[in-house]
Amino acid sequence: MSTTDIKRSQPNLAERWRNVQFFFDTTMRVRLESLIVLALLCTAMTILSPFFLSLSNFLNILLATSTIGVLAIAATLVLSSSGLDLSLGSVMGLSGTAGAALVVEAGWPWPFAIAGSLGAGALAGYVNGQLITRARIPAFIVTLGMLGIARGLALIIAPNGGAIYGLPDPVVYLGQGRPLGIPSPVVILVLTALFAHYLLAYSRFGRHTLAMGDNEGAARATGINVERLRRTLYTLSGTLAGLAGLIFMARVNAGDPTAGISYELTAITAAIIGGTSLFGGKGSILGTMIGALIMGVLQNGLNLLAVQSYYQQIAIGSVLILAVYIDQFQATKERKS
Amino acid sequence: MIRIKSLALASVAVLMSTAAFAADKPLYGVLMKTLANPFWGAMEQGVKAGATAAGVEYYLQAVESDQAAEPQLNTCNTMLERKPAVMITAAINSTILLPCLKKANEMKIPVVDLDNNLDPDITKKAGVDIAFHIGSNNEMAGAQGAGFVVSKLGKDAKGPVLVIEGLSGNITGKHRADGFANELKKAAPGLEIVASLPGDWDRGKAANITNDILTKHPDLVAIFCANDGMALGAVETVFAANKGDKVIIVGVDGNSDAVKSIKAGRLTASVAQLPYLVGKQAVENVKKILEGGKVDNVVIVPTLVLTKDVIEGGKEPMMEFVK
Amino acid sequence: MSLLSIKGVVKRFGPIEVLKGVDLDVEAGSVVGLVGDNGAGKSTLMKTITGLYRADEGRVSFDGADITNLPPGARRTRGIEMIYQDLALAKQQDVAANIFLGREPSKRPLGFLPPIVDKARMDIEARAMIDRLGARIPSIHRPVGMFSGGQQQTVAIARALTFAPKLVIMDEPTAALAVREVESVLALIAQMRKDGLAVILISHRLNDVFEVTDRIVVLRQGRIEADLATKQTQMREVVGYIVGAH
Repeated sequence: MSTTDIKRSQPNLAERWRNVQFFFDTTMRVRLESLIVLALLCTAMTILSPFFLSLSNFLNILLATSTIGVLAIAATLVLSSSGLDLSLGSVMGLSGTAGAALVVEAGWPWPFAIAGSLGAGALAGYVNGQLITRARIPAFIVTLGMLGIARGLALIIAPNGGAIYGLPDPVVYLGQGRPLGIPSPVVILVLTALFAHYLLAYSRFGRHTLAMGDNEGAARATGINVERLRRTLYTLSGTLAGLAGLIFMARVNAGDPTAGISYELTAITAAIIGGTSLFGGKGSILGTMIGALIMGVLQNGLNLLAVQSYYQQIAIGSVLILAVYIDQFQATKERKS
Repeated sequence: MIRIKSLALASVAVLMSTAAFAADKPLYGVLMKTLANPFWGAMEQGVKAGATAAGVEYYLQAVESDQAAEPQLNTCNTMLERKPAVMITAAINSTILLPCLKKANEMKIPVVDLDNNLDPDITKKAGVDIAFHIGSNNEMAGAQGAGFVVSKLGKDAKGPVLVIEGLSGNITGKHRADGFANELKKAAPGLEIVASLPGDWDRGKAANITNDILTKHPDLVAIFCANDGMALGAVETVFAANKGDKVIIVGVDGNSDAVKSIKAGRLTASVAQLPYLVGKQAVENVKKILEGGKVDNVVIVPTLVLTKDVIEGGKEPMMEFVK
Repeated sequence: MSLLSIKGVVKRFGPIEVLKGVDLDVEAGSVVGLVGDNGAGKSTLMKTITGLYRADEGRVSFDGADITNLPPGARRTRGIEMIYQDLALAKQQDVAANIFLGREPSKRPLGFLPPIVDKARMDIEARAMIDRLGARIPSIHRPVGMFSGGQQQTVAIARALTFAPKLVIMDEPTAALAVREVESVLALIAQMRKDGLAVILISHRLNDVFEVTDRIVVLRQGRIEADLATKQTQMREVVGYIVGAH
């Protein structure tokens, strides 16, 4: 065989793989490798533990993933626009505490637990957006500052820094109820994911967000109001953190000011494993859900096998690096060919 | 692409060491906070000894830190999947595990509060039934700490005292600090607690707090820390400020790091909880109730003040339980 | 009346005055070449036309209306388009996404559900425009970052031409192209003139400028140094104005 023949036959396999990837990417907006890893992981866990493959265990996994899942959705939206929100975990803690304080400490009617949580989150996000766009402070700095401020505020609101316990039943239902047998937080997560997926994949808002993350100059040149879009994204991110805080508060029936510590890193990890680019321009909600599930299945499976949590951390860190490596590996191969 | 598949499979295969299947022996579920603290390591040894003696199997899980509350809840739920005969839990705070423990109640699995981490008022309000709480009485431990300080300084002593509490909102830390404060006021009213700050069970944080308070009160006479980890942090700061012989430092737990420090003449004393004994007696009492016996709702395991003399004297019978 | 009329435009950045009072008229159906050395202010002038910069003094009129204070989106709607030197494409998006960026058509599925972007229509029109430009693109579904420089430029041109613009500004369109591609761009410009569009061509390649423009405007240090009819001047004179020899 001549050298030209060899060169022509090799790209064929890679090309075919690329086509399959494209199919998944464009029609379902999911990174194929993540889907495969999730499937392999589930298969492995099923083989290793007889307790894995059961409906109640699946619901456990989804339930355990619900707060991180909502935060990961927020992270996906912000990362897609080439932004960064490091305050997600702290705002989550602040929101749950604020909502609980309004109802348990101040005695307001129970809907204020919901309004208070979402409102606190929205306010924090709004402040982030204003500082980033008007004061032109980098997002890393602003959200890092908000990380500390929100956490401090939460500890101030909660008396003696302890959890505010004892919420009214309708609120607790949002965390511990099981409509149609599915835990409420899972329902909330799914609905949120569907809405966010519509937003990012199908609406003009989503396209503009991705374009802004891809090439901000291009977005500006085509008339997109980048600053306004950015403010909206951070406010939305904060509100989602508020939703995560609400879910957590309802799940444990307490406003806990220490909730969500370092959750933002886990949320960003889930988004990146799922295919969202750290540098903007590429993001998928379905992909993020798969990323969050990969982490959830790993944790759940290793728990069932009584493997200590330190190994879980090693496993998750490794999966993250592997996921990004795959992307880089492909990108360099394409550049060479 | 083949590379990724085999990598994924390989990494899972590497971790598949302990696929413990339910055997004929009853299976106890034990959920700790974190194994990073030697205190919990000693308790695990006690559980192991108790389980071996009782002829039962157990599986033990912990999370990555004292503060990983939601992961502990998730781990608790996952542990219930294996339908243990009993759930022995050391909750990170008074509220986080309640949804899981309620589920355990529904599954007719008895719940044991290991080391008094659950506030009985809150569990009652939540409608969660706890078979028994076992642990040292933290207030008594704090009071013993105060007693030791007074025995060293005399009941007419005067001077500033620093208290470093545990994690905000954690009942164990609160009780120890309260126990110390109340006994100190009674026994030596001249000793004034100038600051009572949460050290979050963290050595580094305690060191920083000590530094700040020493700067404000250079004539500090004693420091009481709600656990040994924090006490060791305080010790380093005090010695770095060259005040090692002027400040009495008392911790709680009596873990192996603390014992080493006391022997080296750095930490003054530690109110040794006997975690080994707590773990062992927890399993023994569980066996009793599983076989239909009755056990007090609150089982108190005694504490022991460890000092250099006590450790080196070797005459104290309870030293056997100090690991 | 001129299609585009710029009068006395001044633009400052802090203490530096980049544009020092520029007057420029461009007629529909004509091609104006804008030349000048680096730092003359060409790109700043163009950005005041497209709206990315707002003039500090002076007036910009287009098609009879004062657009001095309009944002970029509104100016695009009125028919001002620009093809940037760096193309300003979203490299991870596909052809249709780039062409319709900022003005995606949307539809409501089943008539009442929330609006979604009409990808199908975008693809059809994008394909049509690419074909009309006579370009060969492997697939309109690939991210444009995977295309060659010439293919990417076709996408940028398609974006500028899809919404029937009246004025198209092209910033160094031939700088990075192969000879055959250069010819097709120049032919395109000639066609645009025939179709009644106004074109402003910024280029360092004076040969291209002489080949395709009606007028040559020289910008030097923020001022219009010369406004010459192409047929009545030669390269030496133009270069002289660029370097300020007059």
